[in-house]
Amino acid sequence: MPRRRRPLDVAGCVAPSFRGSVPSTGGVPPTPRTCCPAATGPGWLQCSKSGAVTIVGVIPLALATLALLLAWVAPGLMARQKQFRRAPRASLVAWQAVTLGGVVAAVAVPLSALPLVLDTDEPMARAWVLVPAVLASTAIVARLLYAGHDVGTELRRVRQDHRQLVDIIAGHDGEHAQLRILEHPTPTAYCIPGRHSRVVLSQGVLDSLPPAELSAVLAHEQAHLRGRHDLLLEFFTVVHHAVPSRLRSAAALAEVRLLVEALADRAAVRRSGEVATARALMALAGSRTPAGETGATLGVGTTAPVRLRLLADGPPHPALPAVAYLYAAGSATLPVALLVAAWL
Amino acid sequence: MPHSTSAPRLGDLERVVMEHLWEAASSGGADFEGATVRQVHDRFEGEREIAYTTVMTVLDRLSKKSLVTRERDGRAWRYLPADTREALTAQTMRRTMTDMDLTDRRAALLHFLDGATTDEIADLKAALAEIEGRAADAASPPAARRRGLRRP
Repeated sequence: MPRRRRPLDVAGCVAPSFRGSVPSTGGVPPTPRTCCPAATGPGWLQCSKSGAVTIVGVIPLALATLALLLAWVAPGLMARQKQFRRAPRASLVAWQAVTLGGVVAAVAVPLSALPLVLDTDEPMARAWVLVPAVLASTAIVARLLYAGHDVGTELRRVRQDHRQLVDIIAGHDGEHAQLRILEHPTPTAYCIPGRHSRVVLSQGVLDSLPPAELSAVLAHEQAHLRGRHDLLLEFFTVVHHAVPSRLRSAAALAEVRLLVEALADRAAVRRSGEVATARALMALAGSRTPAGETGATLGVGTTAPVRLRLLADGPPHPALPAVAYLYAAGSATLPVALLVAAWL
Repeated sequence: MPHSTSAPRLGDLERVVMEHLWEAASSGGADFEGATVRQVHDRFEGEREIAYTTVMTVLDRLSKKSLVTRERDGRAWRYLPADTREALTAQTMRRTMTDMDLTDRRAALLHFLDGATTDEIADLKAALAEIEGRAADAASPPAARRRGLRRP
């Protein structure tokens, strides 16, 4: 198959003065010119037509760096950019883009190395690069799929068991088919996501919250269900499990969870106003101190203070979401662009 | 797929049967020795169209979920609620709250709030006061406008 690529000169050097006069058969130039000190150097250095020394595999290297940046460095940095919490939707898009970009970059590293060997006439050299490269990419994808299966199966099992239990022990509301009431004085509210989703309230929350605050709580839970926030969290959990444990960032996962809650809080504010939403948060935070204490001892911070602070601080500067969206676009497209560049 | 259509119906029946057992247990008191499939089936006679085998399946499922226990009574099984509804509810509440602290299960259920530590309550109160103060400012417009609004 005739390819557009320049013939790869094994000796590595085509001096500028030879440009145009080099025989297309790819003959070795008589002597290595000053333009190309690498001709005698290591094999990964070679000259381009213009005579500049380039590193073979600059794109695979760039992609590998990018994969590390997106999978390891960026999450740590992003988890510290607290001002972006005020734009939860844009931030979540940025987190998804970075996570997806990291995955694409990692899968693309071996694939981007392929064009380097497809031109060589030595079948052995080709096979030695081709086979491991394809295997490496396949391994990454397989690991992701396995983690996805693992996490997904477990989540669905826990949710189904819990839903079936709640359907039996909890009271049903004639008006809202999704709603279940647990006969218990401790105020609590949560939802069971999935195909047969449920919103579960305790009698305690019904007794202690006035209607406006109750509707804020319901709006929050319905936002989770309608926005399929469970799938979003599942995606991050799967990638979290798939990456090597050294690269995992618990802070990143916690930040995403917080952003999802902040997003649902905004739905609550839209329906019931910020005062009712803030009071509902306060009421449930106050009643749930024991569970919070165990959370604190495990080193897991609670989201209540941050979420109430976000409500108090109000909407962000309009530039903030714009920055997050731009950052998202860059992180998602750069790995793809590099892979395309490697094959051009 | 028959499973997908029968599962919600079975779930509904599980609830009804469980409620019946709880009722029987509470009215029977300490003397309640459980109900056989036949007894449960007879209870719904004329009220619901449930086949005997369906009642058997439902009780079997409930026993697999550890919601009922069963004891041999001659050739039949007697089914008893494993726990009262109140105890089961309390246990479920406890479990969902502790599960929130286990990282892997956190994504299974989405709670309105994951609680707060006693140290955080002060911060919470300050933020709430700020929001309420702002709302109060917005709600009380300048005196002139308020007078205008109050005109009968």
